[in-house]
Amino acid sequence: MTDKISDSLKHYEDLEPGLVIQLGITRVTKQMIIEFATEFDPFPFHLDEQAAKKSLLGGLAASGWQTAGLSLRLLVDAFLSKVDSRGGLGFSDLKWKRPVMVNDSITGTVTLTDLRQSESHPEWAIMTLEFDIRNQRDEPVMTMSLANLVGVANPKNKSAA
Amino acid sequence: MTRWFEDITIDEVFDLGSHIFTAEEIIRFGQLYDPQYFHTAPELAPQSEFGGLVASGWHTVCIGHRKMVDALFAEEERLRGLGEEPGVSGPSPGVNEMVFKAPVRPGDTVNYTLSVSAKRPSNSLPGWGLLFNHLEATNQNGELVYRAELVGFSKLRDFKPSLGLRLALWARTVPVLKRLLSR
Repeated sequence: MTDKISDSLKHYEDLEPGLVIQLGITRVTKQMIIEFATEFDPFPFHLDEQAAKKSLLGGLAASGWQTAGLSLRLLVDAFLSKVDSRGGLGFSDLKWKRPVMVNDSITGTVTLTDLRQSESHPEWAIMTLEFDIRNQRDEPVMTMSLANLVGVANPKNKSAA
Repeated sequence: MTRWFEDITIDEVFDLGSHIFTAEEIIRFGQLYDPQYFHTAPELAPQSEFGGLVASGWHTVCIGHRKMVDALFAEEERLRGLGEEPGVSGPSPGVNEMVFKAPVRPGDTVNYTLSVSAKRPSNSLPGWGLLFNHLEATNQNGELVYRAELVGFSKLRDFKPSLGLRLALWARTVPVLKRLLSR
């Protein structure tokens, strides 16, 4: 068991609340918007420029779920792929603050605001990750709070934190 | 449902239908949006907490959204068939809560249901209402896959804008005035 995937990754003991993760950047093209919308969110305002202009969005904009998915991808690349992630528990207070229009770029930060070892499963800890996603004009695009499990390297040492 | 805001009944449950998740689509979604090895690498996934390949929670949510959109369109068609004008769904301002429960594995069938748990006129967008949508996904064994509280805009049918608002909206259609107003 020396070559387990989790051995090369960071665990609960390596993390501290307050950690700010700088995300990379993704540019959202018209083709990406239409492909995603065709599969998951086929409202006319995500598929057709004329319909989009007449909608509340004012122009062709990405599905909010695509913005969320791309933001998650940025977090996986910058952080979740480097820790012993045991999967997501869910999220809360997701707010789509501004539509992501064709050729906008998204980036931002994710802050580890809380980290606690599970009482019922001491081999797990729960990370609270606060997203602050911005566009190329530094305008807020999306915020949310993600709860994700991370492995504890030495579950018997209660309270490494 | 794409009924008018005024016609939406609280707690009426709509069956949105089912989706069978294949390994191929689980991996494709994972590679694009959630490339953690238990969503993308069937040969490594047995080492994970899940003991095998599982769908990203976000994938199950995106499929749930698609099911909801399809149901809205179907309801729109049904109302048109009855000679009625359907309501108008707007974009969503956000999600209050999403809780992932049972993981989804290749071959699982997930069934989705939707109900509106509350509604009120929007404070920020005159002429629109807010719907608080409750979505539940369950697998073929009856286990809860996720539950969510989603917020959506829905256009008001019986909305009579005040004179001041009508003037403001009209002014926005005149280019010179729009420029002045947006300063």
